Amino acid sequence: MTPWDLAKKNMKGNARNYGIYFVSMLISVVIYFTFVSLQYNKDIEAGMASSQNLRTVFMGSSVVLALFAAVFIGYSNAFFTRNRKKEIGLYALLGVRRKTIGRMLLYENLILSALVLAAGIGLGTLLSKLFGMILVRLLGTGATTAVGFGLSLEAAANTIAVFALIVLATSLHSYRLIYKFPLIELFRADKKGEPAPRVSVWAALAAALLIAAGYIAALREIHTTEQFALNMGIALVCILLGTWLLFRAAVPALLAAWRRNKSRYYRGTAMIGVSQLLFRVRGHVRTFSMIALLSGITLGIFSIVYIQYYFAERSTAESRPFSYEHASVDPAFDEAVRNIIGADRDHPVVSHLSIPVVELDASLTNLRDIPIHYYSYAEPGKSVSILSASAYNEAAKALGRHETVRLASGEAAAIRPMLDDQTFAEYAGQSLELRIGDGKRALPFVALLEGRVLSWRFPDLFAVVDDGTWAELAKAAAPTVFEVYRVEGQEQAGATADRLSALAAGRDDARLNMFYAEYKRTQEESGLFLFIVGFLGLVFLAATGSMIYFKQMTEAHADIGRYAVLRKLGVSRRELRRTIAWQTLFVFVLPLAVGTAHGYVIMKVFTAGLVGMNFTIPILLSMGAYVAVYFVYYAVCVYSNDRILNPA
Amino acid sequence: MKTIVEARNVQKTYGARGNLFTALQHIDLTVAEGEFVGIMGPSGSGKSTLLNLLSTIDRPTSGEIEVDGVSILNMDEARMSAFRRDRLGFIFQDFNLLDTLTVRENIVLPLALARADLAELERRALEIAERFGIRDILDKYPYQISGGQKQRTAASRAIVAKPSLVLADEPTGALDSKSATDLLECLQELNMRERATILMVTHDPFAASYCSRVLFIKDGSVFTEVGRGETARPLFFKKIMDVLSVLGGGAPVGG
Repeated sequence: MTPWDLAKKNMKGNARNYGIYFVSMLISVVIYFTFVSLQYNKDIEAGMASSQNLRTVFMGSSVVLALFAAVFIGYSNAFFTRNRKKEIGLYALLGVRRKTIGRMLLYENLILSALVLAAGIGLGTLLSKLFGMILVRLLGTGATTAVGFGLSLEAAANTIAVFALIVLATSLHSYRLIYKFPLIELFRADKKGEPAPRVSVWAALAAALLIAAGYIAALREIHTTEQFALNMGIALVCILLGTWLLFRAAVPALLAAWRRNKSRYYRGTAMIGVSQLLFRVRGHVRTFSMIALLSGITLGIFSIVYIQYYFAERSTAESRPFSYEHASVDPAFDEAVRNIIGADRDHPVVSHLSIPVVELDASLTNLRDIPIHYYSYAEPGKSVSILSASAYNEAAKALGRHETVRLASGEAAAIRPMLDDQTFAEYAGQSLELRIGDGKRALPFVALLEGRVLSWRFPDLFAVVDDGTWAELAKAAAPTVFEVYRVEGQEQAGATADRLSALAAGRDDARLNMFYAEYKRTQEESGLFLFIVGFLGLVFLAATGSMIYFKQMTEAHADIGRYAVLRKLGVSRRELRRTIAWQTLFVFVLPLAVGTAHGYVIMKVFTAGLVGMNFTIPILLSMGAYVAVYFVYYAVCVYSNDRILNPA
Repeated sequence: MKTIVEARNVQKTYGARGNLFTALQHIDLTVAEGEFVGIMGPSGSGKSTLLNLLSTIDRPTSGEIEVDGVSILNMDEARMSAFRRDRLGFIFQDFNLLDTLTVRENIVLPLALARADLAELERRALEIAERFGIRDILDKYPYQISGGQKQRTAASRAIVAKPSLVLADEPTGALDSKSATDLLECLQELNMRERATILMVTHDPFAASYCSRVLFIKDGSVFTEVGRGETARPLFFKKIMDVLSVLGGGAPVGG
């Protein structure tokens, strides 16, 4: 019998064992191929406004995916080879040369990889259609973009090349394994009795302290980039160490405490469950820490991106308060704009205003000297936009807001810059000083307005003064008049937006700003990131889930004897099922709980700038989705464990 | 005297139609309370099958088995488990201790599963550990103790819940002769002092000589039966050896 025949026979006879390995490889191939074929999809590229951008982001992500697939397949391969140590030992005992065994394993790997690649590319083709549709949907480009259904040859070639490399590496690794182990080692049964770890309450406490310190460092208020880097460094080290120590010491301490509580411990199957967990806890430290950190990062980043996507419309509404806005340059241009907007019957004009704004050079004001952080941008040459109170109120009314400003003569109000969390307290006692002609006027700040009425620009310096003062200002410096329109259904006004930008092409002085253009841009950007992060998150999730699954299955096989004894001693199947489900839950929930906490903190850190938004819904949605998928793994794991340990 | 085991015309066949293998046929067995019964026979004679039937792990093809007055044939899985837990105690050749539990925990496992009172549970553990001479190792793990200590732990576990019947499957099979003798003496004492009913399957005529009665099985049927009566143990051992030499096949000479 040649190694080739042996390989084929092995695979037929051992279909179940190969099943797990096959599936884990298949998952990697499907994910990778799907992603890569999206990358090569012309339709998607064409549908995107920023194609170059898309390509770069996709490229980077596919490299991450390939690396991940390599690690993941390596892990499953190690698991698979370990499970077959005895079989390899048997061949060696029967006098098969190591070289031949190695070749047999190589052939097996090759057959398996060929099957996996074929199945993976087939499945991936179907999935890429689905994911393509999701992407198009997320980008909000509407149903106009059709996603092609054909097999992408470029993507297939790319996938085959990448996986051929990975398979080669894993094959070499298992080849080496045969040479590394002496025969006796191959036959040795699974490790006997990992003694329960010695429990140190101090180490457990230190774990809790480290994690707390890490969180505090991460969430501390920061003012400079150096501070941020330092805090993050401290947080990273503390959280990494703390997580490891938590699983190394705190979890055993918890279980040991349970064991000491005799009236609960010596009760039904509690003893079995707790002692099993204690027995395994040492071997879990690394897996648990890794899963907690991985899911923490995934959850955190996913939440951040999802929050951004979720608030894309809101932040657009803030940076582009009106549907269309342009500076009045000459009557003909203004007329043309008015006609284009008026011609759009589907999006009738709700209001049309002219807002005159005095744009004053910052050197004519005292803003540079006002100790409010944002005003440090008020360098000479930069302009400060000054509105009159009545113009502001009119615009606010047109936007359907309730916030108005009332200024007595000689008073001023500031408009809060975007993404800042200033309060009026910072302005109290300060005043806006203006040089008008030869005279100097000091206008005390009496209010901080939250709603902006004109589009965001840099520097984001807006102030409102009373009408009398404004009129004086306007005499000294000619105001710019901004024509603003508010229309119905501005999210869909793409055609009009296109016509307007064509009209304003080359006319920078028109300073055209449109809600739709900004809305589409943020949606595309955040939608793209959501898609990629979601996709990578899915991969991480699949990987962490599979890691626990593999570990559980290895342990289940080692536990068969133990559970058989329990059955003989008269533990009913129902009781066994319960204790299995309970133990599995412990193993799944623990790293998830820690990961969720980490993820929440990461999310908090990076969304600290988004003030005044309520994140509850997007957080619940993104974390809920993650937990839901995670628990599918749990259910599968309990089912498999039960089938192995609790046969009828 | 109360009857603990009552098996009538028990038959067990394996395999599908056309390829039947009869493991046991026409077995009748009665064990009274306080008896220490040995079952001997060559490999493949069906003695382990019989033990499996009595311990409710396997079901007979036909016939009737009652243990402690309860028919064990028509029970569902949950009741069967409860029955095993409450009425039967097991000692296995390979100990079958849980290596995740300490000796003490292994011993009290049946009581914990039955949700016995905590004080009672601890008292019983100490009492039995004392009897079997394993009090000093109560907090050790199975991998830290010797084979003899392991089997005494297993025996402690088997009797801790005061079962109606203790089933021992080759309990001395994995022990050296000194440990085997210790264990057998413990079992004998248990049988005499507490009137525990013990059914032991063994290959070993020396182990069988501790019983009050020995049943010989050959090719699935009862071959003969020897009672010890008032004979001294060495004489009984000789009697057993005589039967074995007639029985032939596969019984090693131990002792």
